[in-house]
Amino acid sequence: MSQSAATPMIEVADLWKRYGEIEALKGISFSINKGEIVGFLGPNGAGKSTCLKIMTCFIPPTSGSVRIGGLDVQEHSRAVRKRFGYLPESAPLYTDMVAYDYLKFVGALRGVTGRKLAKRIPEVAEKCGVTDVLGQVVGTLSKGYRQRVCLAQALIHDPEILVLDEPTVGLDPNQVVEIRTLIKDLGRERTVILSTHILPEVLVTCDRVVIIHRGKIVANGTPQELQEAQASNPPVVLRIGADGLSSEAVLSTLRGQPWAGSARVRPVGLAGEMEFEIASKGADDARERTISLAQAQKWRLLEVRRELLDLEGIFRKSTQE
Amino acid sequence: MGNIWVMGKKEFASYFASPIAYVAIAVFLVVVGLKFFIVDTFFKTGEASLRSFFELVPAFFVFYLPAIAMRLVSEEKRLGTFELLATLPVSDAEIVLGKFTGALGFLKITLLLTLVYPLMLGLLGAPDWGAIIGGYIGLLLIGSAFLAIGLMASTWTRSQIVAYILGAVLSSLFFFIDRILAAFFEEAKKVAEYFSFSSHFSNFTRGVIDTRDLVFFVSMIALCLVVATFSLNRRRWN
Repeated sequence: MSQSAATPMIEVADLWKRYGEIEALKGISFSINKGEIVGFLGPNGAGKSTCLKIMTCFIPPTSGSVRIGGLDVQEHSRAVRKRFGYLPESAPLYTDMVAYDYLKFVGALRGVTGRKLAKRIPEVAEKCGVTDVLGQVVGTLSKGYRQRVCLAQALIHDPEILVLDEPTVGLDPNQVVEIRTLIKDLGRERTVILSTHILPEVLVTCDRVVIIHRGKIVANGTPQELQEAQASNPPVVLRIGADGLSSEAVLSTLRGQPWAGSARVRPVGLAGEMEFEIASKGADDARERTISLAQAQKWRLLEVRRELLDLEGIFRKSTQE
Repeated sequence: MGNIWVMGKKEFASYFASPIAYVAIAVFLVVVGLKFFIVDTFFKTGEASLRSFFELVPAFFVFYLPAIAMRLVSEEKRLGTFELLATLPVSDAEIVLGKFTGALGFLKITLLLTLVYPLMLGLLGAPDWGAIIGGYIGLLLIGSAFLAIGLMASTWTRSQIVAYILGAVLSSLFFFIDRILAAFFEEAKKVAEYFSFSSHFSNFTRGVIDTRDLVFFVSMIALCLVVATFSLNRRRWN
């Protein structure tokens, strides 16, 4: 099966999912190219897992379609399922099985058998750092090891696509770093889609971010693109000494300026200082006007800056309505 | 075929990964042994037959085999492992048949361990081997049918307890239906007997292997497994 550069590896088109009264997905469309690592970012309950469950052929969409390598997940379910490795949310494992037997079991069902499987198990175990616990019963393993055994399972057949649902949940900070490095490493020759609600994860591991909120995509791009898109008219932040001024008085002065769109107080940790955020009406930079205003008002000017949203800000902004 | 075998082996092994299987087998053997030696006073009657064995075991199976089958799917649903299993390139029918194969292995082990009774009879007297072989074939069939019922019930719920209760209720209904119905309507007896596991089973213990009984059990098993497959497949419906 040849994969031309033009056809995306994963193509999600107008995906809807209704669970009874609840609409978990409300028309999601995006595509992922071969070799990309894409982060699926959103607060809990945003619809990330639902989308991944449809992609992995576990549940059907209410409407819309997902194509993986050009094949529809519903029409060619079995063929599609051969092509990915899947780490479901919370890494479900058979707790009564020995880790080695578990990998052997999944490998056999994945069509890796005999000598090939015997060679492959130590390889993936090594990659995922579970070599030492292969002989242990899964139920006796720590959360971190379970997560990695489950990841090893997803890699056993050397899939072209990896679908990872919250791969770092429940791990300690060192393990998180290890797993992220591993994902980055795996992503060199594979297409990876991972879901998370942790921002740094996306920044560290992903080429592209899809932010999903209440079943809709609210942003889609590289971290840089998202920051640039937000940067067209960033708000100005003004910090002044409190000096007996009331924040309401300052706010009303700010709001009274013809160039100021809106203004609000921002909490500051320091006593004796106040901070305000001013959005200008036009597209122009309002810093100079803010400085002149502060001087005219004889406020003790401490700081004026433009606030470029970082990814966290973008995330918060796009997921708070 | 390969996938079914892989799943069956895994299920079979997982029975013996915990002490529960050993306890279950031990309880079964003790109860059967008590009945055989103490209640029926095998040594006093001096009869070289397994009649009482073949009366007790199916009735015991009604409550024993649903316990063996209850965890097959419900536990996967509760642990969330079902999601992983279902996203492997394995069909729902293969999952059901694999699980059934594993449970069947457990039943075979249980029956194998009881072979000590016919062997003993053979040493001490001259039993009717036809009745014994027929009886064992009957036990394998009726046991498989109870397992299929239990497996079907296990696909309906995430709770093992609920799966057990549903499995045991359905099993006892099919086992005792002729006796239950006959108590109320004399005329329903003929129909009830057709659906009754016990009346189909009793032919085997006389050494009679009737195609009608074979067809009955095999189609009962097939029906339950098909329903189980549909019930797994339901998540794919909108």
